[in-house]
Amino acid sequence: MPNEFASYSAVELCRLIESGNASSLDVVSSFLGEIESSNDDVNAMISVSENCLETAKAIDNKRSRGQSIGPLCGIPIAVKDGICTKGLRTTAGSKMLETFVPPYNATSVDRLELAGGIVLGKSNLDEFAMGGSTERSYFKPTLNPWSKDHVPGGSSGGSAACVAGTMAPLAIGSDTGGSIRQPASFCGITGLKPTYGRVSRYGLIAFASSLDQIGPMAWTAEDCALLLSAVAGYDPRDSTSANVATENYLDRIEDPISGLKLGVCTEHFGDGLDSEVEKAIREAIDVFADLGADVKTVSLPHSASAVATYYIVAPCEASSNLARYDGVRYTTRAVADSLEQMYSKTRAECFGTEVQNRIMLGTYALSSGYYDAYYLKASKVRRLIKNDFDAAFEEVDLIVGPTTPTPAFELGSNLSDPISMYLADIFTVSANLAGIPAISIPCGFSKSGLPIGLQLQGRPFAESTLLSAGHQFQKQTDFHQQRPSS
Amino acid sequence: MVQPIDLETVKQVAKLAKLELDDARMDEASSQLGRILEYVNQLESVECPDGIEPFYGVVESKDAIREDAVAPSLPRNEVFKNSPDSDGEYYRVPKVLDRES
Amino acid sequence: MTSQQKRESVNLEDVTVVIGLEVHVQLQTESKLFCGCSTQYGNPPNTQTCVVCVGLPGSLPVINQQALNLAIKTGLALDCQIARHTKWDRKNYFYPDLPKGYQISQFDQPICGPGELTVSDPKGKFESTTVRIERAHLEEDAGKSIHGADSTGCSQIDLNRTGTPLLEIVTRPDLRSPAAAKAFLQELKLILTYIGVSDCNMQQGNLRCDGNINLHINFDDQTIATPIVEIKNMNSFRNAERALAYEAQRQLESWQLTGVTIEDAPKQTRGWSDTKQATTVQREKEESADYRYFPDPDLISVRVSESEISAIQSNLETLPESWRQELIGSHQLNAYDANVIVGQGREVVDYFLAVAAGCGNSKMACNWITQEVLRYLNEENLDIDSYPIPASGLIELLSKINTGKIDQTRAKEVLEEMISSGISVQAAMDALGIQPVDEGELEALCQQLVLDNPAVIAQIRDGNTKAIGALIGKSRKLNPNANPGIVREKLLQL
Ligand SMILES: [Mg+2]
Ligand SMILES: [Zn+2]
Repeated sequence: MPNEFASYSAVELCRLIESGNASSLDVVSSFLGEIESSNDDVNAMISVSENCLETAKAIDNKRSRGQSIGPLCGIPIAVKDGICTKGLRTTAGSKMLETFVPPYNATSVDRLELAGGIVLGKSNLDEFAMGGSTERSYFKPTLNPWSKDHVPGGSSGGSAACVAGTMAPLAIGSDTGGSIRQPASFCGITGLKPTYGRVSRYGLIAFASSLDQIGPMAWTAEDCALLLSAVAGYDPRDSTSANVATENYLDRIEDPISGLKLGVCTEHFGDGLDSEVEKAIREAIDVFADLGADVKTVSLPHSASAVATYYIVAPCEASSNLARYDGVRYTTRAVADSLEQMYSKTRAECFGTEVQNRIMLGTYALSSGYYDAYYLKASKVRRLIKNDFDAAFEEVDLIVGPTTPTPAFELGSNLSDPISMYLADIFTVSANLAGIPAISIPCGFSKSGLPIGLQLQGRPFAESTLLSAGHQFQKQTDFHQQRPSS
Repeated sequence: MVQPIDLETVKQVAKLAKLELDDARMDEASSQLGRILEYVNQLESVECPDGIEPFYGVVESKDAIREDAVAPSLPRNEVFKNSPDSDGEYYRVPKVLDRES
Repeated sequence: MTSQQKRESVNLEDVTVVIGLEVHVQLQTESKLFCGCSTQYGNPPNTQTCVVCVGLPGSLPVINQQALNLAIKTGLALDCQIARHTKWDRKNYFYPDLPKGYQISQFDQPICGPGELTVSDPKGKFESTTVRIERAHLEEDAGKSIHGADSTGCSQIDLNRTGTPLLEIVTRPDLRSPAAAKAFLQELKLILTYIGVSDCNMQQGNLRCDGNINLHINFDDQTIATPIVEIKNMNSFRNAERALAYEAQRQLESWQLTGVTIEDAPKQTRGWSDTKQATTVQREKEESADYRYFPDPDLISVRVSESEISAIQSNLETLPESWRQELIGSHQLNAYDANVIVGQGREVVDYFLAVAAGCGNSKMACNWITQEVLRYLNEENLDIDSYPIPASGLIELLSKINTGKIDQTRAKEVLEEMISSGISVQAAMDALGIQPVDEGELEALCQQLVLDNPAVIAQIRDGNTKAIGALIGKSRKLNPNANPGIVREKLLQL
């Protein structure tokens, strides 16, 4: 039976539940049903929660007793499997954590549950979020619901495919170099990477700590606003979380676009940009102009160095973040007679090749004699990239451009050459390096029916501007209302 | 900055990173690393003004500090639940000799 | 003469021992450096851990304010420059008692920058030395590995200690003898305990020390340096002195035999073995780890404000050296006594001050404390806090002496009685039958002595006043309560 709620946005589902026209149990059951019928095929979920139906019933009972059920109203949410859920296996897509059951919840999970959201299950990802296609998961690749020959993007490809495949109306992802926006773009949904520090990283299994950020994924910008409002905010358990007042991002969702200064970045429209993507982006910019945006040209002169900077900073941090997987305290260990062998065999057997390569890259770049040339130099260029944004945001409120240079690529096509895979991040990594918020919204389809995403980048903590701009765009367009035919 | 990485260096790095790779994997890693290093070496040509401060991603904050207050620890059975080898009191690992500090 | 013979004939005056120290001090906080687990010592293994200090995936550290304050306080006590910006770095290495695979430490912006500490020896065994402190930085402790206890031959890991705050204090190589190094450690410990940042309990590992040592030798009109050796595990001050002395001698002999200098050999790490009373090789520096320090992206650099520093400065306790000067200046103690009292810790100073004020005689208070009180504490291996006689009790006893109610010798008996029976001064005096002797009784006693000892009296009359001692001894037998001072005076009058 097809999911009867497939065409609804999360905000619409909330209204149905609040008005009594559907129960949380109805909604959760429908999405569970879709997982049952589609997940074997798409492989978007690694684990499904065993008690989500119970939780739905409890929420329905609360509502029938007239109690508040929170802004998320008992709707189901897919959580990326790199985010810890108490009592629910959390693998980070790695053999290393195949049986890891966290004794604690990530702050974002606590918060979405507090807001009445229900963890439906854990979505697939590239191992330790290292990848851009979700092909690097120990638990098999996820497929793109729009075309099963194509990747869903990554690393939050499972989360994106859950939403696009109508297996969950909302999903939580994490974004280190584009891992929310690029799969959102590939899967025709909306995904927001918040400002660094906006959402607590406590409980997010670290890939690159200074770049990682948790964010919402959904069909619409309005849904992202709903979910972000639930999970955002200062967390004393995360030193890097920002003590900046949070807001209900739905409050300003109807803010008009007119008067907003929209910067078109010249560096985003060079060689390597797919012509269909370029066309869709140009048309989207026209929509913004029609809505009254003041479109200008801006330059981010160091954006060409962003991918190289990223591929030093991220592996350096990762090499250290992944040192804790040593076979001593969790899940699995290789058979060995000496400690040294136990370490080296466990890490050789339980990390995938991409993770091993990045660990080695980071280890090398941090090692004695290379630190200044790599990590220090990259951190300086990172400052230049940030300065570029600071200067651009003196001129404009938002920077608009493509999320990715091409639509989703075919499975397996980028696995042999790391650089071609990394270049899929070319427009997204800068926001992580600079710590600014950015959103990807659907803005078209290729001739072969693959979704195309538009990226908006904003000033630190300007999430509501990104969301309202996205929402106003979505009121004029229907790309976010398309569903893949299964 | 850097010459493409040689196999010997890759072996040393693998040792430092505690990765016991077989020869085929070592060769593969070596070529992948070489390819990536070749790409990232473009940073060499990026001019950085004198005295520019590196940016490590986080902004300063006064709130990133906590009071010295004791919070409950995890029950020991919780602690060992995920562990591949423990005796109920201690984690167990293959015998170790030399130590660092 | 062969070059070896030449080296063997080098004069000891031409050999300078060069020592620098690294001291790890556990700061006295309630909770760990980056999580809320208790720092209490001695609990069952792995009962003081949480997702943060076990390094579970996804967990994050948050710095303990008090640890930072104690580090700043220590820095101020050591005249260190306090950093206005301090940051956290990761020191990467694998070890099973290091859960995250890295230690959070401070690399290039330590909380405390250069400072100094002067040590001197009242006995003059070494010259007064001002030791430059290079830096002091905060870092988290590792857990404990236990080897050889497990029946299956595994090593056992206890993570209770993991994440406990340590301050690593590093000196410049300014010490010139093992004795001076020991004195430095003693003075450092004294300062740390006076300002209350650490209990410095070495049995519990709350103060650990490593030393770097080599020799500078004037030889053939040039100065030759022997290879630097780092000695680990010097787990008591006495052992530190022994290990350094052993190592100095070993380096001299090794150089004499081989002629190997700092240019020819890398830095070596050796460990002090208590049982062998020798240092043994732990590892050569070539095989040492590459720690790949880099800024910890999970922690934010800390800005330390002037007002925070001045608040800590204004609450800084008086330091041991100031107390010595105070006891010498305001209480007229000699340097030796002042050093003894101060060296026993702040509580003994307070005890002294109370007794001196109460009895009105600092010298007397000092004598009683350094002789009676400290002897007892030493014999019983107790702290002053556990001394059974409060300052008020000792004051009462000394006042009896000052008012002639009792003599010094009997007062010591009273003190013993007070301690052994747990009773007051008066009760102890009663128990010992000590009563005031009235004037008439004393008069009669003296007359009796004169009559019974004509020979002694004759000696005294001839000017041999020392002979009077014999009479005082006899007076004691006749009446133990007779005050020997008064007896002496009266006899001289007769
Ligand atoms: Mg250290
Ligand atoms: Zn803890």
